[in-house]
Amino acid sequence: MHQARAIDLGVGLFILLGIGSVLFLLMQTMGLTGFISGNTYRLQARFDHVGDLKIRAPVAMAGVTIGRVAKITVDPIDFRALVEMQISLKYDYLPIDSDASIASSGLLGGKYVELQPGGDLEVLKDQDEIEFTQSAILLENLIGKYMLGGAKE
Amino acid sequence: MVKKVCDFWSDDAVSNLVEIKDVRFSRGSRMIFNGLNFSIPRGKITAILGPSGTGKTTLVKLITGQIRPDDGVILFEGRAVCPCSRQRLYEMRRQIGVLFQSGALLTNLDVFENVAFPLRQHTKLPERLIRQIVLMKLQSVGLRGAWEHMPSELSGGMARRVALARALVMDPKLIIYDEPFAGLDPISMGVIVQLIRETNDALGITSIVVTHDVAQTEILADQSVLLSEGVVVAAGTPAELCNDRSELVQQFMRGKSDGPVPFHFPGPGYVEHLRALASS
Amino acid sequence: MSGLVREGWLGFREFVGTFGAFQMFFFRLLPYLPKALLRPRLIIEQIYSIGVLSLVLIMFGGFFVGMVLALQSYSTLVEFGSADSLGAFAAEALVRELGPVVASLLFAGRACSAVASEVGLMRATEQISALELMAVDPIEHIIVPRFIAGVISVPLLAAIFSTIGMLGAYLVGVHLLGVDSGAFWSNIQVRVDMYEDVASGILKSFVFGVSASFMAVFEGYYAAPTAAGVSQAATRTVVIGSVWILLIDFILTGFMLPGV
Ligand SMILES: Nc1ncnc2c1ncn2[C@@H]1O[C@H](COP(=O)(O)OP(=O)(O)OP(=O)(O)O)[C@@H](O)[C@H]1O
Ligand SMILES: [Mg+2]
Repeated sequence: MHQARAIDLGVGLFILLGIGSVLFLLMQTMGLTGFISGNTYRLQARFDHVGDLKIRAPVAMAGVTIGRVAKITVDPIDFRALVEMQISLKYDYLPIDSDASIASSGLLGGKYVELQPGGDLEVLKDQDEIEFTQSAILLENLIGKYMLGGAKE
Repeated sequence: MVKKVCDFWSDDAVSNLVEIKDVRFSRGSRMIFNGLNFSIPRGKITAILGPSGTGKTTLVKLITGQIRPDDGVILFEGRAVCPCSRQRLYEMRRQIGVLFQSGALLTNLDVFENVAFPLRQHTKLPERLIRQIVLMKLQSVGLRGAWEHMPSELSGGMARRVALARALVMDPKLIIYDEPFAGLDPISMGVIVQLIRETNDALGITSIVVTHDVAQTEILADQSVLLSEGVVVAAGTPAELCNDRSELVQQFMRGKSDGPVPFHFPGPGYVEHLRALASS
Repeated sequence: MSGLVREGWLGFREFVGTFGAFQMFFFRLLPYLPKALLRPRLIIEQIYSIGVLSLVLIMFGGFFVGMVLALQSYSTLVEFGSADSLGAFAAEALVRELGPVVASLLFAGRACSAVASEVGLMRATEQISALELMAVDPIEHIIVPRFIAGVISVPLLAAIFSTIGMLGAYLVGVHLLGVDSGAFWSNIQVRVDMYEDVASGILKSFVFGVSASFMAVFEGYYAAPTAAGVSQAATRTVVIGSVWILLIDFILTGFMLPGV
């Protein structure tokens, strides 16, 4: 009987550990962890082209992750990409004339949204839109332009 | 009209627990049983004797339905033993206890759990009752003190006694002992002989003892069946067998190496064999 | 040399030949599965002896694989200026591929060989016949609990392997190589997809669990009742089981990878 209880305990712990691991993996990949689930506010930005920016991509300022891309849609009126971002409430002091650009972390890294602070004293608030944006630089386009240009000469 | 084997019924079931009718069985080209006929009376101890390799263990497998005869039929309680219906086979086996030559205890369970195993599988008895039954059976084989041992910690003779307790625990109608005396010291041998007799008489069960130990058979058995060359060569009480005139029976009962029973497994002549090996 | 080729050919023929036997045995097991789940006692005991006792090996394996993965991919990633993606690289490799495959291979070596030799020895010492004669179905009592326990254990072990592997990669990447901790995790969230990666990893490990556990009980049940037969059953379980895992992995990866 004594031994049977030890076995039950071991098996119970094992199954908990296994399920815990599955949950850990799911949470890591779904972005349920970190400040994102804490208090955030929303910002929007319109880009001509987002490249392969994905949902949950980081939003960074000066290299520090301050938020995450929440939603990417096409605006039905001007047909530009509308990117919604969730920014941690800790960073509620971003100047209203900041600009957003889509950058990539290295050749193999993914795309992310980089915010450049402006100089205005007024700050961005929930549901505000960032006016100044710069689209993703498409590597293919650059290469294509360079090659075509080279061929013409 | 041809009678299907599984529908076979017998009218002698009142007096005979097991009946073996015209059983033929061969392994590959080797004929083991060639028309075997005998019956096992209820409430008696029947010894099955025979030289090594005649197929005594094979007969046990046939009776318990582990293998099926090529021809003929085996009846238990008047119903055919048929490996075709698993459910019926298992129903029958619940009424049979088998004591293996090696014991065949479950090595991952201790002595107590081994004996309790059939009860736990087939009944829903409360734990308290199971404990009482198991300790009683272990007491009767003299191993109650070893109830916490694992099978690997037992000697061969002890393992066989535990297996006996396990075979008895479901109170079977028939109990089959395969070579119960092989490799036992004289004291254990005496104990086992007494145990077989006592369980048979006290519980009113029927016993089959497969053995080649003639001396013990004479003390123990109510009836003996001597097998050789695939048929029954003699049957009767041990005294009758001892007085049988047949040369073969005399050879077996007296333990003479010379006689109609060949000591050698069938094969080419010795000299021929050596020559063949040398020339190849 | 021709001997080797002949051996290989015979092995291959046997491999194909056992396929029919596999199917028959598998369909023999199927009807027992629902019934067995109603009596979980035996399954729990088996999960203990094949799952819980494999845990240390799996965690050890996962930790080191994760650390090596981080070291190895760092040197490549840093050349492309993408060291931040280290976490994503390691996580994707672990969750999709290495977790299920390596955990199953370790499981085959640690647990399946033990099951095969245990069952084989039960046959050799007539315990299986004894069960039959006590009107206890050995398939129900011996085979099915071990099979189900394996099927349950492998996905859990694979998930634990991946998780511990990610911690190993984190330790090396962040504390040894100086990758930013936030970037490590946030890149994982961007690059690793829940359905595509995590779900396919779990599905894979489930399929591997079924095939490895099946090999073990099959080889054990049909082992020749001799010393050589039992040891051969254990060896065949590991060898054929591992070949199956790798083969199925290739096929499943082909099906699951988008655009292949
Ligand atoms: N699995 C098997 N395959 C092929 N032949 C077998 C098999 N088992 C037994 N035999 C053959 O069947 C014959 C009878 O075997 P069996 O074990 O029934 O003899 P036995 O009367 O019990 O002998 P012993 O007194 O030595 O135990 C033997 O000659 C043996 O060669
Ligand atoms: Mg025998």
